[in-house]
Amino acid sequence: MTTHFVRQTPIDPRAAPVAAIAAPVRWRRAWFPTPAMSLLSLLLFALFALFGWRFFQWAIVHAHWRGMSSEACPGDAGACWAFVIARWKPWLVGNYPSDQLWRAWTCFATFALFWTWVVRRSHTASLRRVLLGFMLLPVAFFLLLTGGGPLPVVVPTRWGGLLLTLVVTLATFATALPIGLCLALGRRSRLPVARWLCGVFVEGMRAVPLLAVLFIAATLLPMFLSNGMNVDLFSRAVIAFALFNAALSAEVFRGGLQSVGRGQLEAATTVGLSDFAALRLVVLPQAVTAVVPALVNIMIAVIKETTLLSVIGVNDLLGAVENGAKSPDWIGESNILTSGHVFLALAYLTVCYGLSRYSRRLEVRR
Amino acid sequence: MTTSPRATSDSNGTIVRMQGINKWYGAYHALRDVDVQIASGERIVICGPSGSGKSTLVRTVNLLEPFQQGRLRVCGVEVDADEITRAARLAVNRRVGMVFQQFNLFPHMTVLQNLTVGPVWGAGVGRREALERAHLYLQRVGLMDQTHKHPAQLSGGQQQRVAIARTLCTRPQLVLFDEPTASLDPEMVSEVLQTMESLAGEGMTMMIVTHEMGFARRVADRMIFMDQGQIIEIARPDDFFERPQSPRLQTFLGQLLSH
Repeated sequence: MTTHFVRQTPIDPRAAPVAAIAAPVRWRRAWFPTPAMSLLSLLLFALFALFGWRFFQWAIVHAHWRGMSSEACPGDAGACWAFVIARWKPWLVGNYPSDQLWRAWTCFATFALFWTWVVRRSHTASLRRVLLGFMLLPVAFFLLLTGGGPLPVVVPTRWGGLLLTLVVTLATFATALPIGLCLALGRRSRLPVARWLCGVFVEGMRAVPLLAVLFIAATLLPMFLSNGMNVDLFSRAVIAFALFNAALSAEVFRGGLQSVGRGQLEAATTVGLSDFAALRLVVLPQAVTAVVPALVNIMIAVIKETTLLSVIGVNDLLGAVENGAKSPDWIGESNILTSGHVFLALAYLTVCYGLSRYSRRLEVRR
Repeated sequence: MTTSPRATSDSNGTIVRMQGINKWYGAYHALRDVDVQIASGERIVICGPSGSGKSTLVRTVNLLEPFQQGRLRVCGVEVDADEITRAARLAVNRRVGMVFQQFNLFPHMTVLQNLTVGPVWGAGVGRREALERAHLYLQRVGLMDQTHKHPAQLSGGQQQRVAIARTLCTRPQLVLFDEPTASLDPEMVSEVLQTMESLAGEGMTMMIVTHEMGFARRVADRMIFMDQGQIIEIARPDDFFERPQSPRLQTFLGQLLSH
């Protein structure tokens, strides 16, 4: 046995071996590793095939594609896509005046451009631009859609569908995030009053269902405001959303602030930064970057929460579908509303799944 | 190095004066009747067993830790235990630099931004002047080619040298070192110690907490030995290592030499 070893020739690095297991073998190991697992896999396949086939039958084979009224969709056997196709306009823009539609299209196009060119290409360096976009876009959209000056005024009650969902989501984000950040900072404040107020607000909001907050905003809020201030239902709903989600994002920001070590603040102090400069230049950039994926999750939640707007009578995407099914042309067949709901689910699934993939990518990148 | 002598040291050249400093962490008495005077240009090395209050002592000097009794005068700023104001803390920290055990570089900034953020946003130095300083001190610590990297891309020794340069960029009159080599791999300790030694050679006033006794002997003007929150012995390095007076220091040095 050697007790003293000296390497004579150095070993050059070699490439790692490529996985040599054939695809079928890997597949078998993944799905049928043990008898019990195999049984479970087969069961799942069977279930999936059965429901998949039923859905395929309903959604494609027996579906009705053409027609302008409920007479096009007799019976329950197939989906009524004719309803979805015929009513595309109210679902996209609600009752927005037809001659002013270019304003709505501009909003959609701007958002699409912003999303593909700024958000999806962002890395930490351009995070600031993304945040700025989320702050400015809703304001710009609101002004453009409402109009005034040379543009004829379109009141928010005439907006609806996807357009309303988009604007409410963005407006909620633009207001909830800054408020949430202030609440989170307030809970760390040196002033006991500020700490207490922010704590009570956050804990209170978190303990109340959103639907209750929405109803309060819709019915109770106007009673508190003086008669001169007539805030429309749309704005009241946005305020409710903003306050509710501010409380949620405050907790997220608080986690982010806590994740920045004490040493960072001490180092910032010792290079001569004031408390405010240390917060702005050292603590906040790190805290916000750390919670971006969690903020995207809140955004996904907001998009889904907007469906609650239909309950208080705002014509959002869900409201547009349900109002459509109640319209004289389409009343009668229960299948029509179901088709609308399935379409709605697919639409939300597409958007939210995309967002969640995006947030996953953000997490991986860091 | 050219530290412009601002009129903040006392007439007799004292830059730090601690009188009867007492500090408690809850019920634990962490600093007990600490009296120290440090002259401008002096190098003080503080050593002692862990938990003896060395770090607390240097962190009290720049008011990172508040104290409950005593008086402190740092670079002309008078601080009373009863009212440690934000303004006093800011004034002290604009004159005193600090190097931490964990480097505490700002991970979201490049090396250059780490160096300029203090001068620009703290002291209100112009951006061009701050960049000039940054390049000067990066050259001093031998990291001119790393300016646009982020701290995570540097080795521990390089990070600590950047941290030293960052502190120098604020033109401090006194630099505190809180175990600057304790979290470094053995290979990287010497590069940091060399940087500190050359700094000492240029007359920088330094308070250093360290366990590197060879370095302490070469650099220190005076050694301070602490135990249980008290200053046990203050001496010149020769006397400190060759003729320790207190039994506690004798056993401490004995333990250092026996391994």
